[in-house]
Amino acid sequence: MNAKRALTRFRAPDEPGAQVRAWPAIRSAYQDRLPVAERRSYRRPASALAAGLVLLGALALSPAGATVGHLISRALGVEHASPALSSLPAPGRVLVSGPGGTWTVAPDGSARRLGPWAQASWSPHGLYVAVAGANGLTTVNPRGVPQWSLGRRRVSDPRWFSPSGYRVAYLSGTELRVVAGDGSGDGVLAAAVARVAPAWRPGRAYQLAYLTARGSLVVRDANSGRKLWSARDGAVRELEWSADGQRLLAVSARAARIYTASGRLLSTQASPGGPILDGALSPSGRRLALVTGGVGGEVVVEGQQPQRVLAGAGLGQVAWSPNGRWLLISWPAANQWVFVRVVGAPRIFAVSRIAQRFAATARSGFPQLEGWCCTAAGAG
Amino acid sequence: MTAVAQPVAATGPLPRSRSRRPRSERSLIRGALAGSEADLELLFRRHWPRAYRAAFLIVRDHAAAEDIAQEAFVAAIRRLDRFDRRRPFAPWLGAIVANRAIDWARARSSRREVAEPGPEPASPAGPPASRYSEEVLAALAGLSPEHRAVVVLRYVLEYTPGEIARALELPRGTVNSRLRRGLDALESRLREVEAR
Repeated sequence: MNAKRALTRFRAPDEPGAQVRAWPAIRSAYQDRLPVAERRSYRRPASALAAGLVLLGALALSPAGATVGHLISRALGVEHASPALSSLPAPGRVLVSGPGGTWTVAPDGSARRLGPWAQASWSPHGLYVAVAGANGLTTVNPRGVPQWSLGRRRVSDPRWFSPSGYRVAYLSGTELRVVAGDGSGDGVLAAAVARVAPAWRPGRAYQLAYLTARGSLVVRDANSGRKLWSARDGAVRELEWSADGQRLLAVSARAARIYTASGRLLSTQASPGGPILDGALSPSGRRLALVTGGVGGEVVVEGQQPQRVLAGAGLGQVAWSPNGRWLLISWPAANQWVFVRVVGAPRIFAVSRIAQRFAATARSGFPQLEGWCCTAAGAG
Repeated sequence: MTAVAQPVAATGPLPRSRSRRPRSERSLIRGALAGSEADLELLFRRHWPRAYRAAFLIVRDHAAAEDIAQEAFVAAIRRLDRFDRRRPFAPWLGAIVANRAIDWARARSSRREVAEPGPEPASPAGPPASRYSEEVLAALAGLSPEHRAVVVLRYVLEYTPGEIARALELPRGTVNSRLRRGLDALESRLREVEAR
């Protein structure tokens, strides 16, 4: 057989299976795509995002905004919440950690305790979980079996590089450290950093955003140690890159800022009400969910059609489903998880007794959402 | 408030195509642009296998190849309205796949975290080709990602050398020399197999 013919007849592993796994993600991306009539805006997602952020402020003051989708609950908690989670409304697995340890929640609603750790992070395809404890960093498989461990003091906020998972960044005291995905080559990337989870730029090996103790936002090449850019951004509490690596979201209590990959500030949106507690970019990177705190707390999803999807006191965090169609909102004050569908027909349902479900109590603290994983290739 | 939860993404086998007559690619793209998910699905089914195969041959890691092919499709969908429908879809998608695969392979080799794995076994589901598939992988392993990409674009995705030059932004002469070197390596390896 000649070489050309051999190449023509070559078949990759499990081609039919790969096709079946890929289709839901492709379809989901297609459904998220803007209609043809809105192509102009679609071509410029950064502008759309900036416009959306501007709209966000207006929306919060708008009576019409308060009734979008009829999804707003002003009571403490959603009525008729189910006492148990029978299934997740979208593919993937949810990772939770807190006083009761680290848990995963399967699509059928069943929960598995991985161990006693206080923080955790999915690997890009959900094949492993990096867990942080007072005395070290450990990676475990989804059954909780340890793969490797590093003894370090005061470890927190592990984050995997995506899509390969070949690096894990984490904080140890005031140091930012980076270790290879197999536990080798651990080293300090930066000293005197703030207690904010670092964020890898997806697909760009290996650019890492973090916050210094003095409040500078820095993006650094983790291989060479070279600083790529920096900006003064005050009290940032959360950093997140868009999935395509083109935008960096920096959330502080008073504002959500979007930077380009080269460090140019694209937009700044002050909080519409109380302090911003949490922010999350959708998998497509075109929508931003923000949770604000205080008595007038709310969850707002900005984008082409901004939506205020939930309101109430004592809200917590927000996470997007991997297909970008649902939000999972934690509501510690109501001891609930609230699922809200934000694509297609509006839908909402809630699950109560979340603290008890994950072996926590009101006094010990509410379980933290660590992520809803993953792409079609993993953790489904 | 209602308490309703329904899965929204299909995870089972893809439904069969509803259309009996083969649709032209241009028609499928037009349909997908107009909002027809069925047309998008046909387009996907038509182009997925080779996109995934090409990515796998370049990166030699099936999980990464799945991601790359999937991301390439998503990127293509997002840019579909900018696509020139007078041109064939496959080379456009293939360029996205090849460039992403090269980037991924370069990133992996820039600092290896784990020992470089040997090539993964090719599909056992291709009996006539399976004996050679392993050899194809082994032969390509000796080439750089850039060389592999040129060979794959030419003989798996069936680009012309000119199209490869444009897609990878290479001089035409470089494309030809890389093709020659890739084919020589493959043929040498396959001759060894034949001789056993």
